[in-house]
Amino acid sequence: MEEESDTRKINNSFLRDHNYATEADIISTVEFNSSGELLATGDKGGRVVVFQREQESKSQPQRRGEYNVYSTFQSHEPEFDYLKSLEIEEKINKIKWLPQQHAAYFLLSTNDKTVKLWKISERDKRPEGYNLKDEDGRIRNPLTITSLRVPVLQPMDLMVEATARRVFSNAHTYHINSISVNSDLQTFISTDDLRVNLWNLEITDRSFNIVDIKPANMEELTEVITSAEFHPQQCHTFAYSSSKGSIRLCDMRQAALCDKHCKYSPLADHRAILQASAEQEGGEGWGCEEEEVEKDFEEPEDPSTRSFFSEIISSISDVKFSHNGRYLMTRDYLTVKVWDLQMENKPLETYQVHDYLRGKLCSLYENDCIFDKFECVWNGSDSVIMTGSYNNFFRMFDRNTKRDVTLEASRENSKPRAILKPRKVCVGGKRRKDEISVDSLDFSKKILHTTWHPHENIIAVAATNNLYIFQDKVN
Amino acid sequence: MLGRGVKRKWSCLADLEAEALPAEKQKNGEEGPGDEGGFHVAPSESDMSHLQQRQLVLGLCLEKLQHYQAGVELSLRRSVLLINTLRQIQEDMQSDGVETCTSETLLNDVNADSCLLRDDVREDMPVTCPGCSEGDGDDLPLSPPLSPEFPSQEANSSADQPRSLPPATISSFSDAVNAMGYLSDLALDDIFEDIDTSMYETSDLPSAWAAGSLWPISVSLWADEDVKMRPSSHASAGSLQSCLMDLNELDHIMEILVKS
Repeated sequence: MEEESDTRKINNSFLRDHNYATEADIISTVEFNSSGELLATGDKGGRVVVFQREQESKSQPQRRGEYNVYSTFQSHEPEFDYLKSLEIEEKINKIKWLPQQHAAYFLLSTNDKTVKLWKISERDKRPEGYNLKDEDGRIRNPLTITSLRVPVLQPMDLMVEATARRVFSNAHTYHINSISVNSDLQTFISTDDLRVNLWNLEITDRSFNIVDIKPANMEELTEVITSAEFHPQQCHTFAYSSSKGSIRLCDMRQAALCDKHCKYSPLADHRAILQASAEQEGGEGWGCEEEEVEKDFEEPEDPSTRSFFSEIISSISDVKFSHNGRYLMTRDYLTVKVWDLQMENKPLETYQVHDYLRGKLCSLYENDCIFDKFECVWNGSDSVIMTGSYNNFFRMFDRNTKRDVTLEASRENSKPRAILKPRKVCVGGKRRKDEISVDSLDFSKKILHTTWHPHENIIAVAATNNLYIFQDKVN
Repeated sequence: MLGRGVKRKWSCLADLEAEALPAEKQKNGEEGPGDEGGFHVAPSESDMSHLQQRQLVLGLCLEKLQHYQAGVELSLRRSVLLINTLRQIQEDMQSDGVETCTSETLLNDVNADSCLLRDDVREDMPVTCPGCSEGDGDDLPLSPPLSPEFPSQEANSSADQPRSLPPATISSFSDAVNAMGYLSDLALDDIFEDIDTSMYETSDLPSAWAAGSLWPISVSLWADEDVKMRPSSHASAGSLQSCLMDLNELDHIMEILVKS
């Protein structure tokens, strides 16, 4: 089978050679796998494109591990919900990789309603020398066979195939906004606006609802869940964020239903749910010392800054645990906050992403930009955090030096292997030569999705339908 | 929403600021908005008065709630945030109380549907739309049932009688609600069981009602079986009263529609 060529070629370092822009090509999620060898992107058309890092070669040391297309497949198709007369979009909302355990790679991809487990495997040998069929596949006339032979595996051109191994469907009434794989590698959660469901990777016809914030009377609905993630090491802990700007850290051992109505119920038996070992008593086997308690993380509102948009801009669009499991990062419309898991009353650090927009909230409300959901990401050592902004800008904050930088992902402003020039937005008064004024920012160019290599300083940034991969300077 | 090279007219802001800040726009004019085909934000809005901003946000909010794409499910998060903003404006208006009836500029540019947002207003304060304001001075209480108002001169007769909504609003609301699909997980039987279908025999009804839409009675955006009359004392139960109509009002509205 000939290799499928992806029309979205990437220049590995800084530029993209993408000439056309159809809506289906809009990238909706990007994710490195746990080794950083693979990078997956999902788009609005339901496709997943996986890039693989080239092995470094001595002959061309300057081409330090470029990413090339490895596999492309159609993950989700558009569906029609006949009951509600509504289309179910095929857009891939999230992709999460499973840590690699064998030769094949596994990832979970989800659209609004259905999560799928995909297996990506390589085939570089094929059997040749069948008795009953010839090389073209045509069946041979058995009467013509005079001798038998044993088929032999022969090398062939590398073929990468993706197969859907599991389909987890019919568990969500509302739109799935996130998925997260548990550190036990056996379960995962899928989250929609009102519920979080826990699945076992092997079982597709059953899921357990562990968070449900749907009120009995829908009229009383004032808050939705915006994101949820498992703790990176503690398989009983997960966090979910809300549209009101709060984060709840939940412990599944406390109750079967982890929401405010069942906060301190007696321990529920989760053995059926978590097929992990039975060493649940006292948290043994999970590296947890103390008893977990559910916590609500919320910063009290500053009454002086209250406006009609306060709630909307406080809505958390992304929540990410740090790799070391000690911190939580949240992204709301204007800021990124780092929370210490031990301190719920206020964030440890707050970084202004684009505070110059604070005076423009009314316009941003009018053009709907105020509802944009930006993601945020940690670097491998949890020392730098990154998030996107408008005008194809993205921001990085160094937590130790407290320095920050604004960079731009655009073809015009970057040349291959050139160092990205820091950008600056001018907020008023005199505009310097290289600065850009707030009123000139292009709000249709937004960087919502970014990902950081787990160990190295390589980042992937999705700018509408273009994928940019940036690497640390090579000496 | 994304204008392809079309310069977006920030009409609301432009109108409000035209008198106030002509200079501001000139200053920022060197890289004019809309030049490159993307879209940009209007210049400084900080000088908009609180009332002006509230009025603007109110209009936008209602516009966004009503605008939906047929066949595409609405985002629950977005709708919840919009409704919460609406509630906040409602509370703000309530607390502003006295000023509202005197200010004519309040609702000038807002489309008539904003009249929906009237309730919990004290009896001595007729909050009305500009169209109603002339000659309505003594036409008071919004006292129960809570009702949306409408600049209709004919409905002046009785203070107790609710004003009618423009038919277009009724059907667009119910269509909007259908599209939102909030009720997807409810058993359809529950929804239909306490609906009095006798009123659907009227041929004048907008088609959306007659089709047995999921949300036939209330124009609340995601409410379900609540079709009973709501006395004003329950107004602050946290639900969006301004969008509710009850059966009696519906009857009355139909009368008005049939007459006109």
